[in-house]
Amino acid sequence: MATVHLPSGLTQYTGGVETIDIDAARVPELIAALGHRFPQIAEQLGEMAVAIDGEIYQDPGYQLLRADSDVHLVPRIAGG
Amino acid sequence: MNGMLAIRYETPQSVGEAVRLMAADPDARVLAGGTDLLVQFRAGVRQPSAFVDVKRIPELMSITIDGQGLRLGAATAAAVIGEHVELRTLWPGLVEAVQLIGSTQIQGRGSVGGNLCNASPAADTTCALIVNRADCVIAGPGGERTVPVEEFCIAPGRTVLQRGELLIALRLPRPAARTSDAYLRLIPRSEMDIAVVGAAVSVTLDANGVCRSARVAIGAVAPTALLVPEAAKALVGSSLDAASLKRAAEAASTAARPIGDKRGTAGYRRTVAGVLTRRAAAIAAGRARRK
Amino acid sequence: MTTPREFKYVGTRPIRHDGVDKVTGRASYGADVVWPGMLHGFVLRSPHAHARIVSIDTRAAEATPGVKAVLTGKDLPETTATIALGEAAIDLRDVGDNMLARTKVLYHGHAVAAVAATTIDIAREAAEKIQVVYEVLEPVTGIDRAIAADAPILHPALRTKGAASPGAAGPTNIASRLEFKRGDVDAAFAEADVVVEREFRTPMVHQGYIEPHACIARCGEDGRAVVWCTTQGPFVVRDACAAIAGLDPAHVKVIPSEIGGGFGGKIVVYLEPMAIALSRKAQRPVKMVMGRDEVFRATGPTSGSRVRVKLGAKRDGTLVAATASLWYEAGAYRGSPVGAGAMCALAAYKIPSFFIEAHDVVVNKPKVAAYRAPGSPIAAFAVESVVDEIARELKMDPIELRLKNANAEGDKAPYGPKYGPIGLKQILEAARNHPHWTSPLAANQGRGIAVGFWFNAGMNSSATVILDTDGSAAVVTGNPDIGGTRAAQAIMVAEELGIPVERVRPGVGDTDGSGYTDLTGGSRVCYATGMAVIRAAEDVRDQLKARAAQIWNVAVDAVGWENGRAIPPAGTEKAEAMTVAGLAAKMAHTGGPIVGRASLYAPMAGPAFGAHICDLEVDSETGQSKVVRYTVFQDVGRAVHPGYVEGQMQGGAAQGIGWALNEEYIYDADGVMENAGFLDYRMPVASDLPMIDTVIIEVPNPLHPYGVRGVGEVPIVPPLAAVANAMRDATGIRFTELPLSPPRVLEAIEAASAVSVGA
Repeated sequence: MATVHLPSGLTQYTGGVETIDIDAARVPELIAALGHRFPQIAEQLGEMAVAIDGEIYQDPGYQLLRADSDVHLVPRIAGG
Repeated sequence: MNGMLAIRYETPQSVGEAVRLMAADPDARVLAGGTDLLVQFRAGVRQPSAFVDVKRIPELMSITIDGQGLRLGAATAAAVIGEHVELRTLWPGLVEAVQLIGSTQIQGRGSVGGNLCNASPAADTTCALIVNRADCVIAGPGGERTVPVEEFCIAPGRTVLQRGELLIALRLPRPAARTSDAYLRLIPRSEMDIAVVGAAVSVTLDANGVCRSARVAIGAVAPTALLVPEAAKALVGSSLDAASLKRAAEAASTAARPIGDKRGTAGYRRTVAGVLTRRAAAIAAGRARRK
Repeated sequence: MTTPREFKYVGTRPIRHDGVDKVTGRASYGADVVWPGMLHGFVLRSPHAHARIVSIDTRAAEATPGVKAVLTGKDLPETTATIALGEAAIDLRDVGDNMLARTKVLYHGHAVAAVAATTIDIAREAAEKIQVVYEVLEPVTGIDRAIAADAPILHPALRTKGAASPGAAGPTNIASRLEFKRGDVDAAFAEADVVVEREFRTPMVHQGYIEPHACIARCGEDGRAVVWCTTQGPFVVRDACAAIAGLDPAHVKVIPSEIGGGFGGKIVVYLEPMAIALSRKAQRPVKMVMGRDEVFRATGPTSGSRVRVKLGAKRDGTLVAATASLWYEAGAYRGSPVGAGAMCALAAYKIPSFFIEAHDVVVNKPKVAAYRAPGSPIAAFAVESVVDEIARELKMDPIELRLKNANAEGDKAPYGPKYGPIGLKQILEAARNHPHWTSPLAANQGRGIAVGFWFNAGMNSSATVILDTDGSAAVVTGNPDIGGTRAAQAIMVAEELGIPVERVRPGVGDTDGSGYTDLTGGSRVCYATGMAVIRAAEDVRDQLKARAAQIWNVAVDAVGWENGRAIPPAGTEKAEAMTVAGLAAKMAHTGGPIVGRASLYAPMAGPAFGAHICDLEVDSETGQSKVVRYTVFQDVGRAVHPGYVEGQMQGGAAQGIGWALNEEYIYDADGVMENAGFLDYRMPVASDLPMIDTVIIEVPNPLHPYGVRGVGEVPIVPPLAAVANAMRDATGIRFTELPLSPPRVLEAIEAASAVSVGA
């Protein structure tokens, strides 16, 4: 089960839930499961970067997750 | 080619020829170094019908110093002035003002006459010319005339020059013994900038170190550079001690009539006019004492 | 644990391959090309900061002899496409509207029409004949006005996105609101021994790249277009042009010119789709070049801001609580870098409880663009100023205070994930041990220190390495070279193939000549594209080993590689080690040419920190200040070409010092910028600054084969606070508003001395 940490700005839509364990092998399945659980944030999830065990992917694509992956959703960042 | 934008480029070889060209065409502009004119042209501020390049007229490109003083050709490049040893010794404040203009590249082109004719209230050379009692030698269809430099600029961008006239030289009387000058300006950068405030001071000391005469001019604090007799009065008769310098500074601040704009508030300019006057007077005094 | 790799070329300082062309003026920049039959484009811009366009009559312009095309917003399709590019994906509808206004003008200088004519003078004259009727509206020129209850609304359809404040609904100028929180902030502040709270303001500032935006484009009846332009991202330009001009991206080719600086400002398109659309109408190439005033008024500076920060610490210096409220101007369309600012604000420190809110505010000023570590310098100015105040309150050395609270590997970043190996403590220790920190100060001088943080991007990169028959190699990527990346890429190929750097020709490909590559930005090129270059060179090496195996008639796996030579397996008869040149000479007989390639998607590079020490001398009678000594410490992971790494560190510091001391957009009450030129928009000139000393610290980034971390953005983050902290030290005054221009400083000094005289 990957542990997913939601950004605090979204927790008003998740009933205060900040951390949730999700069984998913890849990022798309994880995002889908989150969106299913919290429909109010589903749209915003697709616009976020995903940090998997400390490595931030602006576009996470089909990145694989480990069974104990630590996953953070973070806003995307523009560079100069 | 679109006719309305064709521009003539003239290269008169004599003052007479230049006067004729200028008299014949009110929209012609004198081109000396071009460091202001070409920038204004490119920015669309000025659209002259002709550039009258005066750099091939020997009288406008020469420096002569004799017992009477200095005759400085109006289009002489700043770099040439900066390299002139005698000029630097006699008028160090004027030369430091000249050398503050622009960058190394600009110094190779820009001239004192051009700086004056551009008639910016912030022009660096104007104050230094004023305290050195410079006269402007003007040639025109009716011959030559002379105007004290403090009367040459009448408003931002405007001078006393009439149609067909051009500034051909500046004449400065030879300084008396124990006389020297200094010019300071404030810019937020170290170069490539326009004075937020400028101040020039010339002092003449007697054998005892007492100030016998003085002139103070401040720039960028009024529509034209200001000669400030009250500040000079504070210096004359003193040994240029701290108290008299402070009084001169107060007089300069009082005389300043600045506007507030993007380069500084009116109050800031007034304060700094005094600070620079005091500092320039101290530098001029130090130089005069060493003479 | 692997032993650190020994490098032969990485860490050396060869002369850049593009250097001679650049210093001799041979290099071709955006405005340097001339195409046969070329027309000149001129843009008519709004004289109002906020107005509705009632009508545009272009007939007189079109009738002007020499005019070949006139363009208004109605000539372009409305697109709803977006390009994913970090924070607030580029909304091409907004980009198109920003390039050429459709219904409203939203800032002074907003383009409303464009003319292509046989000369630029005719184009300008004709543009002046275009009749635009405006309904002038009240301009919103700052955050305070934008968020007032009765503020004019820029975009009636705009609603606050994200974690809206309670009660916020309906039309607004607040485009988004973000929150980051951890722990119980109120309880944590209650336990603090010292609490400092300040509000800071910074004005809009521009990147100030020396080369203005410029392009030339041609578009035929068949809808195929070629664009030559100065840009950080040719592929971004291609996709944006296609969407905005209504073309198939497959039919658009973008050729990047040399680039005279970008710093984030040459990512968005301002001219290129207009040039294409004019060319399509005129059926001739159209060249467009901005003047400096257009660059200031109508391209993308970075946000003006209002930031309130509160920090609480225990007596021993432990930071226990923080709040930060960030308000950034987005300019005319949503999308300021406030989210990044919020994520960077507390990134250096272990603070158990915090609350950060971030607001993106639209105002009637040019739409902001990325500028070197977008959002981070503004946040660091506020936080690092308050940290300095805490150190003063506690009478603690500011480096010790920072070291005590510094994040390290394994600590949780304020935006969530745990840090990998980071060099914050190392740079602080290096600063503490540097002679600068303990050197004596002269009269009227002060010293300040500040740290800064940036993420460093990854994303898409491709590289091709082409081996020539003489054993030299070309390397081609799609990244315009801004900061010396060609030299770095040549070093990487040299390192992998074992051939001299001078035998590698690094090049920048166009959009048809290189694999898709994201823009030159986010400090990503040496890291992400560099990784692709290394892999492409490895690909060449693998092919060379296969050729050697063929020659020696041995298994590929048995072939070794050492010092740029293929090594035959022991005991192979008549086989001697072969150099790259030797193998390259035999290419035609061993299977033909050798081309290596690699493409990849890289995660973000892993963050980097910098610490800057600034010594400032202040003239208390004029308010004028001068930086007299400045040292930059930065963890760069690995310096591939240390000379260009140092150049980035110095350049970032110089830009940040300018931001701190004199740079600002000055507006009048009507929203007209008063200083749209380098005379009165005061960037530092060379003589304003001392030689900026640099100390490179290398904490290798595990995501990159050499440890590269990215270097270009971090160095602009600390200077704002480093300078302000030095000013505080020199004058005793805490300045909370930039720039620290002489009038502002003198006013504060006079006010402070009036107070002390009064007391």
